[in-house]
Amino acid sequence: MRLTLQMLISHGRVARKMGLGPQSRLDMLRNILTGLVRHERIETTAARADEVRFYAEKLVDYAKKGDTDEKAMKMASFWLTEKDLVPKLFKVLAPRFETQSNGYTRMARIPNRENLDRAKMAVVEYKGNPFPPLYPVKKENELTLLNQLLKGYREERAQELSTTSTI
Amino acid sequence: MAACAKGLDKCMFSLRLLRNLRLQNERFISTSLGRLAPKEPSKFTPPPKPVVIDKTQTVASLRKFLSPEFIPPRQRTDPFKFAIERKDMIRRRKVLNIPEFYAGCILAVTMADPNASGKINRFVGICIQRGGKGLGATFVLRNIIDNQGVEICYELYSPRVQKIDVLKFEKRLDDNLMYLRDALTEYSTVDPDMKPVPYSSTDEVPVNKMKVRMRPKPWSKRWERPKFNIQGIRFDLSLTPEKMEHAQKWAQPWREYDMLKEYETSKLEEEILSEVQLEMSK
Repeated sequence: MRLTLQMLISHGRVARKMGLGPQSRLDMLRNILTGLVRHERIETTAARADEVRFYAEKLVDYAKKGDTDEKAMKMASFWLTEKDLVPKLFKVLAPRFETQSNGYTRMARIPNRENLDRAKMAVVEYKGNPFPPLYPVKKENELTLLNQLLKGYREERAQELSTTSTI
Repeated sequence: MAACAKGLDKCMFSLRLLRNLRLQNERFISTSLGRLAPKEPSKFTPPPKPVVIDKTQTVASLRKFLSPEFIPPRQRTDPFKFAIERKDMIRRRKVLNIPEFYAGCILAVTMADPNASGKINRFVGICIQRGGKGLGATFVLRNIIDNQGVEICYELYSPRVQKIDVLKFEKRLDDNLMYLRDALTEYSTVDPDMKPVPYSSTDEVPVNKMKVRMRPKPWSKRWERPKFNIQGIRFDLSLTPEKMEHAQKWAQPWREYDMLKEYETSKLEEEILSEVQLEMSK
């Protein structure tokens, strides 16, 4: 029957089903997004983290329009349940991402939850947060033989160039 | 050399004659019109100012209208498909003039029909909905003929369509007038021999703020529910305030804040409008 087939087939549906229904899903995502804006790094289940990423980036796009814009203010006051985060969104997060056009968030998987459900967990963060990086930056060891030889070569070249330039 | 100079002379002379004749005729027509028009009572009316038609300005002041079937839907298909479809749409539009119209306009469509006498048939009706994207774009015309409601869904780009005329150019309070099926018949009747009402192509589209009276319930759809968002029905005549409040239970106030459901088309529209205008002017 045509009436129900559209509801049974989910081709092209982008939104995951969460909670008790569409309203419950949006409320849950609202809470997670408020926590993300307050703490700038949050760990939740992987599915919720993935959903919240989209809404987090769209919220920053709205915040970039400025707090004089009516629609932006309405969106911010709907999505942020704690109202003291609304100025933080417009005055801290929006200027931070002024130069970028997309990709304000980062997601990384972490070991499964310790509970009985062993749920897939993930960390979402806004880029440019003050915490240490999620993926630690690998520092090259200066004391290996190859690095020492290269360092010596670079110093000799610098010396040669300075003597030839003075002559 | 002398012969061709003489020939040139002759055609210059004839050209000048023709031009003078034309000018004389125009002058004659204008003076005769002046004589036929009724004389004003003896009150000094200043002479009318000359109307200057500035051809360079009309293109810019024309209403910017992009037919909604040009805007591609939000899909995972390649934009190339929409680009070639647009090319075909423009090719058809160069042959058949498809005017600007909205839901609520009164249109007359002549279509080729092998079974009709004279091989063409003409239908006049109110456009109640414009659907489809690309070459399959359709519009539904509704009229009441011999006490029978008739709705015909025409494809804009079908080769059977020979002429589309806008008899009355206006917008209504909604984009979808399907509720006219449940409204009183007087709101869907259109005179088939209606004369076209002239309209300007520079002013704002006139909005007809008419609110329609409905037949008693049950209706084909529950038009009072907020998902249809209908402004053009007089609900106070058919529903009690309690029923209206009960209908608001199906309101989803979170939907307007759900950013996943938004589809911003303004930039796309501008690009496509400039592309279409460029192609149509070629």
